Amino acid sequence: MSAMNRSSLSALLFLLPLLAGPAAAKEKIPRLSNGKPDFSGIWQTTSPADYDLEPHSTRADAPPGAGVVEGNVIPYLPEALEQKKKNFAARDTADPRAKCWTLGTPRGIYYPEPFQILQRARDLTIVFQFGQSVRTIHTNGTLHPEVTDNEFWLGDSRAKWEGDELVVDVTDLTDETWLDRAGNFHSTALHVIERWTLVDANTIQYRATLEDPKVFSRPWNIEVFLHRHREKNFQLIENYCFTLPYERFYPVPAKAE
Amino acid sequence: MTFPHTLTLAIAFLMASGTAFAQEPTPGSGIQIEKVVPKIESGKWTGHRLEDGQPDVEGHWSNTIANHNNWTDPQGGVPGDPAARNRPQKPRNERAPSRVSDPPDGEVPFQPWAREVQQDLLAHFHNPTREDYVEPLARCAPAGVPKSFTWHGYEIRQYPGYVLFLFNSGTRIIHLDGKPHLPDNIKLWNADSRGRWEGNTLIVDVANNNAKARFARTGEFASENVKIEERYIFDNGGQRYNYVATITDATVYTRPWTATIPAKRWGVNEPDNGWHYEAQLANNPGKPPVAERYERICVENNGPFGNVAVLAPKK
Repeated sequence: MSAMNRSSLSALLFLLPLLAGPAAAKEKIPRLSNGKPDFSGIWQTTSPADYDLEPHSTRADAPPGAGVVEGNVIPYLPEALEQKKKNFAARDTADPRAKCWTLGTPRGIYYPEPFQILQRARDLTIVFQFGQSVRTIHTNGTLHPEVTDNEFWLGDSRAKWEGDELVVDVTDLTDETWLDRAGNFHSTALHVIERWTLVDANTIQYRATLEDPKVFSRPWNIEVFLHRHREKNFQLIENYCFTLPYERFYPVPAKAE
Repeated sequence: MTFPHTLTLAIAFLMASGTAFAQEPTPGSGIQIEKVVPKIESGKWTGHRLEDGQPDVEGHWSNTIANHNNWTDPQGGVPGDPAARNRPQKPRNERAPSRVSDPPDGEVPFQPWAREVQQDLLAHFHNPTREDYVEPLARCAPAGVPKSFTWHGYEIRQYPGYVLFLFNSGTRIIHLDGKPHLPDNIKLWNADSRGRWEGNTLIVDVANNNAKARFARTGEFASENVKIEERYIFDNGGQRYNYVATITDATVYTRPWTATIPAKRWGVNEPDNGWHYEAQLANNPGKPPVAERYERICVENNGPFGNVAVLAPKK
């Protein structure tokens, strides 16, 4: 083996992991036939984000959590911070979740119950176990509705692919949802930009930027990881918890003759 | 957690239904498009297939006959309706047949005790003096199986391993992968569904039904022991299907019986008609029209029934 060949070989051996690394990682994530990452599956975070997005110690109604907000603190405007404190004080009953109302965006994503993503080239459909509410993320190049005063509970979601990252622009939101059980909130001016990335076949890195000039002094970011449910035969079990107050009146009791 | 408003609301709705309600056109108006059930045979599928081989039945659908006012006389209104305008305008033989296609007499083969209960529920429909007289859909409950197929239009989306129904009130996932049903003690408004395709027919085995939803305002019901085998028989033209369900419950009926509900597809070029087809055109300038379904909410509106969350333009 000549010296030149030897050095070429060592160069190759040195480069191999660099070349193979990203290529191998790409092969590991599932893809649709159009080559886009396939997020299909049943997902759930292990983060305590829904108890409180901000860092908090143990309290009667929440386990401790280091928070999922970049920089730890949600940048409320002064008046909005007062409202947040009121919400926190009344959280046992004032949290819309306590009435089993649709959780909203982004809260549904880090709520501690599974959700299922069903994906086509034209869209991703998210079915939340909680309330069986349905969110559609459009990936077909369509734009937000021309009407600008829609107030959806889950927002209007239009997405584009940036490489393997799904970037979702969410507008047209109601102000009736909360961001967590600690009373963090927003107005109808909320605009969410989500970034969904499969970091491996069974893990989604979910990042979101929240901007709402009526409530926050600047945009702020959160990050949680979502894990694929891999238990055998795992499935969503519908949770229409809003029926609990009256379900005892039904069904007609069976009595065979 | 209590909802003192729910019964009040339901009663308020029932009173309103005697006069006028935007979602409830009177018999003979827009909802009742047809009065006959077309014949569609099970057989080969010759239409378009999805990548995974399933017959492509994605899109917007709705039943052609009537809403859930009356199970066995679908275009007959709710018997005892205090509002004369809600009573049928035509004789029985000029209205659509019973949704009960077997037995041939068109009646649900109730055991005597169950017939008494159904008659009592019907007798109190317009004046629900007890909580259990309130038809659960009026409280925003999911319409369940099979009533969802007579309550507004709905969308079918398909994926490898799944058929997804997005109803006006409720969401239903049909699993095609043959996994076992949930444990028997788990009971659900929309039950637990395992399906398979045979040619043009989607056959679904429905178990774990909580039987809380009723079949119609006329009070027909099943028990938690009910088993339903659904056959969705799609016409190869892609525009029609018949929903044919065999309903078995030895604790309520004297024999298994069959329900048939015909449905038609609604297309992107048809206007939103506020009941059967409630899709919006996407904002897609310069490109072919795309129909979209907006989210449904109900209990959040503090009002009955599934609603689109879109508000009227603000004044």
